[in-house]
Amino acid sequence: MLKSFPDDRPLVDIVKATKVYPPDIIAIQNISLTVAKGEMLFLTGISGAGKTTLLKLICAIEKATKGVIEVAGLDLARTGPAEIQRMRRQIGVVYQDFKVLPKHSVYQNIAMPMEVTYRDPKEIRQRVDELLTHLQLTHKRNIQAGKLSRGEQQRVAIARAAANAPPLLLADEPTGNLDTGISELVMSLFEKLNREGSTLIIATHDESIYRNTRHRKVELEHGLFASHTLHKQLPLIDL
Amino acid sequence: MGHKSYFYLKQMALNVRQNWPTQTMTLLTVTLSVLIFSFFLLIYTNIIAAGERLGDDLRLIIYLQDEVVPELQPVLTKKITDYGEVEKVVFISRAQAFSRLEQQLASEKDVLDDLGPDFLPPSIEVYPKRNLKNLTHLKEFSDYLATLPGAEKVQYGQSWVERFGYFTELLRIIVILSGVLLILATVFMVSYTIRLTVVAKEAELEVLRLVGASNRYIQTPLLFEGTMQGILGSVLGTGLLFSIFKWTQLHLSGPGFLNLLDFTFFPASTTALIIGAATLLCVGGSLLSIRKYMRI
Repeated sequence: MLKSFPDDRPLVDIVKATKVYPPDIIAIQNISLTVAKGEMLFLTGISGAGKTTLLKLICAIEKATKGVIEVAGLDLARTGPAEIQRMRRQIGVVYQDFKVLPKHSVYQNIAMPMEVTYRDPKEIRQRVDELLTHLQLTHKRNIQAGKLSRGEQQRVAIARAAANAPPLLLADEPTGNLDTGISELVMSLFEKLNREGSTLIIATHDESIYRNTRHRKVELEHGLFASHTLHKQLPLIDL
Repeated sequence: MGHKSYFYLKQMALNVRQNWPTQTMTLLTVTLSVLIFSFFLLIYTNIIAAGERLGDDLRLIIYLQDEVVPELQPVLTKKITDYGEVEKVVFISRAQAFSRLEQQLASEKDVLDDLGPDFLPPSIEVYPKRNLKNLTHLKEFSDYLATLPGAEKVQYGQSWVERFGYFTELLRIIVILSGVLLILATVFMVSYTIRLTVVAKEAELEVLRLVGASNRYIQTPLLFEGTMQGILGSVLGTGLLFSIFKWTQLHLSGPGFLNLLDFTFFPASTTALIIGAATLLCVGGSLLSIRKYMRI
């Protein structure tokens, strides 16, 4: 679905989207945004700017009050639950609250998206080990996720989102609990996924991860666009 | 399919491990329900078989005022066979009855010397077909035979046949009740266990949905769980009954009640049917819970 989507059409197309939470809290208002296939986009802004809401609308956790949200050509307002589930299998999401299962081991948490797509168990083991190595969590492989620090849990959530090398990855404050060194590891993983063809939308208020980026940056303020920065051409660094 | 089954079984094993005390209780309930039901069913089927064997000698004798002329015999036979399922009808003349008595008395037949060969009444012997329905309806049949022209009295082993009929009727009710118990207990317990599993896995189910797990991925392990409870419980239940049966045969053998009944265990097909039915009930219980408690 997302993998075979043509390159010349936007993978994510948001047209005049508004989300109002009851009774009358406007989270985002009249937002229009297109994200091309293979793009890496930073969604910035202070807390409460509407970044999380926008990500939730894209992965169909929330429905827009007004406007159209299309992912790989699917109008999410008109898509049935089975189709949404199929779509989610191709989207990796790093949630702000991690949504890590505390009684499951680190391995089980990361393997979950691959298991629901019935991947070869051997392949799953290899991929999980690869991600654990990249994120320096190998020694925690069989520990219950609930016994990890916040930063470690966040890395587990990142590894889970990246497990399927998804065509679309949404990350909500992925470096919020991480120190600089680990943040760089996480960003290098995202860059790697992007080079391999994944489209990434990263919501963050951590300026350090997008300050010198060559990627597009969109700033939200009180649910509206504040600024829009186009690609900054920087030399590619192989990580 | 290979990978799918692997994940379903893995998930099922995880569920069982997370929720093992309730799983054990459910397994015990299914086992006991199957044991109770199959125990009464076994007794019932054996009693029916015994009834059929005892019915070999069963006959109704209609004593008549006068001999039945040969031309009338087919008419009476038709009237009898029209009413109930009859194996055969035998007309006994006065002379035949006298000759039989002589044979029975053997060396003491002298006592009959002063009596003429006509002192015994003629009769009709009716041999009903050997099945439980006929056994339990003998009284009505006898009442009907008493209304035949020339009939004076109808005799049969009324007392034991009636008691036997009541006993089998009681057993039939017990079998039905234990069957209802089996249905209620298994469906309720299995659906309750699945419900507990669903509640315990609430957070996990949420994450599974977020990573795009299909309904089949979530539901199949729960169905496997119910199936496993059904197969294990019913195999254990029938296995226990078989052990009790073997023990009883070994320790209570001799000229007793069991030998009189010639007690036998279920044929393999009946055992398979019990296991299959209990498994289906457990799968039904799982489905009930899945539909009710999983909003997917």
